[in-house]
Amino acid sequence: MLATLVVSSLIDSLIVIRSTEMDGVSESDLENINKFMELALHQAKCAFDNLEVPIGCVLVEDGEVIATGFNRTSETRNATRHAEMEAIDTLLEKWQKCSLSKSQVAQKFSNCILYVTCEPCIMCAMALSILGIREVFFGCANDKFGGCGSILSLHKSETDNKCRQVDGASQSKGFKCMGGYMADEAVSLLRSFYEQGNPNAPKPHRPVRVLQAPQKS
Amino acid sequence: MAARNEQFVDWEIMHIPGNTLLSLEDSTVNVVAAKIEPKLANTIIRQLNQICPLEDLRHVKRVKKESSEGKVKLSIILYVSSENGSSIEAAPSGVRQLIDNYNLSLFAAKVSRCQATSKGEWEEQCKLWPTSFHPPANPEGVSGLDEEEIKSIYSSMKSVIQLVQSNIQHKVVNAVIIVDPSNGQIISKARDEIPLLRSSEENDSSNSNNEETKSKWSENKGVACVNPWGWLEQSCHDHGVMPCESGFTWHPLKHAAIVAIENAAARDRQLFPNPSPCGNNCYSEFYSVDGPAKRLKTENEAHSTKKDSESVGDLAWEATRPYLCTGFDIYLAWEPCPMCAMALVHQRIKRIFYAFPNPRVGALGSVHRLHGQRSLNHHYSVFRILIPDEALNKIFLENLNQ
Repeated sequence: MLATLVVSSLIDSLIVIRSTEMDGVSESDLENINKFMELALHQAKCAFDNLEVPIGCVLVEDGEVIATGFNRTSETRNATRHAEMEAIDTLLEKWQKCSLSKSQVAQKFSNCILYVTCEPCIMCAMALSILGIREVFFGCANDKFGGCGSILSLHKSETDNKCRQVDGASQSKGFKCMGGYMADEAVSLLRSFYEQGNPNAPKPHRPVRVLQAPQKS
Repeated sequence: MAARNEQFVDWEIMHIPGNTLLSLEDSTVNVVAAKIEPKLANTIIRQLNQICPLEDLRHVKRVKKESSEGKVKLSIILYVSSENGSSIEAAPSGVRQLIDNYNLSLFAAKVSRCQATSKGEWEEQCKLWPTSFHPPANPEGVSGLDEEEIKSIYSSMKSVIQLVQSNIQHKVVNAVIIVDPSNGQIISKARDEIPLLRSSEENDSSNSNNEETKSKWSENKGVACVNPWGWLEQSCHDHGVMPCESGFTWHPLKHAAIVAIENAAARDRQLFPNPSPCGNNCYSEFYSVDGPAKRLKTENEAHSTKKDSESVGDLAWEATRPYLCTGFDIYLAWEPCPMCAMALVHQRIKRIFYAFPNPRVGALGSVHRLHGQRSLNHHYSVFRILIPDEALNKIFLENLNQ
């Protein structure tokens, strides 16, 4: 996902919505997805209120939210603390406290669905693959850093990916991934963040381009 | 390029470019051009730059000048051909009007898609159509490093290899060091922490013989970036492992680079705490901390509403505080996986040095070339250090005898 400093032109690219990917989703499914996406957006708003890049997520198991997360890169001065990483750590800690074994944890992740307001970045997409998550729904695409189709396609498993099979190494894991859900809301939140200026980003080398209002089609 | 130093004889450093070198033929763009009268050149250029700017081809010169028999001939790029061909119908309407007005006759041409990265490349490009070339101020490759710097690079890499091996009796893991190259200060050190190893366990099988440990050296399945999906199979020393500060006894994502970034961030927070509302004088002791030469000033507009007395402290604080890992180098034993390589982009690392490639999921040359992705908002340079086998064995024996 997004690091602390993102050039404003990013927002323009974020309005790419993959409407085609939503084909084949029934109305009740869509209602369900949007319900969780609302919760992810609420997390993104929490990030916004904390002067963080406004991206949020929820992790869902058997129809229930079991973890939430929002971007905390500025507060921690650790640019890897994306919403997904926050939610994942909450779960790992919780499950280890319950003394779950590694294989039990792996089993649980394989049953988890992630709802995140912006396409996971390359780092987060790889992390989700390492954990073996079942499915990901995202809001807006991330044309600069996206790891689920925009720049790399890390959600695809080794068989259809460029990765090579090596003897003795564990098989890579792919996950189902669909984008474009409530993307407008996700983008407008990001836009208002960058319009007010990211207070934590270093001074830009070039003058920042003033954004035009989005063109509604 | 080998540094003439006995300790590092036959060590080599090579630059890993962000792009695999495409032949020029594979990287051209078709354009439609026309010959124009030199006296009309200025007018036409001005009009074209308005109605049809070459947005993605800023390195390409709009006009090509040839002289034959003492006469100057000019050609100008009108527009980039669409995929459907270069017929006049494909021209943008404004351009079509211009073609009619000046009665231009069109011809197809090819231009280079990308800006040249070297003088040789530029000369090749210009045979197609002239482009502009700006030699980089800081040469990207190995040529920008002097012998002294290469020596210190090798010695940092040696420290990383020593970290990899210090728990070799169990298995080989990835190790990393983040260094501030301006003063050689080590910012952070880390190893893979997929299963956390207790320090006592590292010592209890130190009597294994050399041959046995040697065979383990080649077995790198325990290296998180090489076998990222292997966390399930890795033996987890469940018996009595105390959770670390963060509360984890094991963590599938705690690859060495991720842990090193965490440590660097913790150091940053400790050395440069956020200004508290009670005033900033309490932080003055940190101003003198040796820091990187290159500090980025963070925007201080956010603080402009504060009282004068406070903003003086803020300014000093802003000036010394590093922004993430800007200006720092990282040394890794193994080439990072996409997760770690992207994490290092996010954290603004300046240069990456690794010793061993990661043929299965390596993101910096082996499978992907993340540092060549133009869309990213930060780009680091990547180098590989080739260490001769004897040198590796020697480091390893030294470790064993300690």
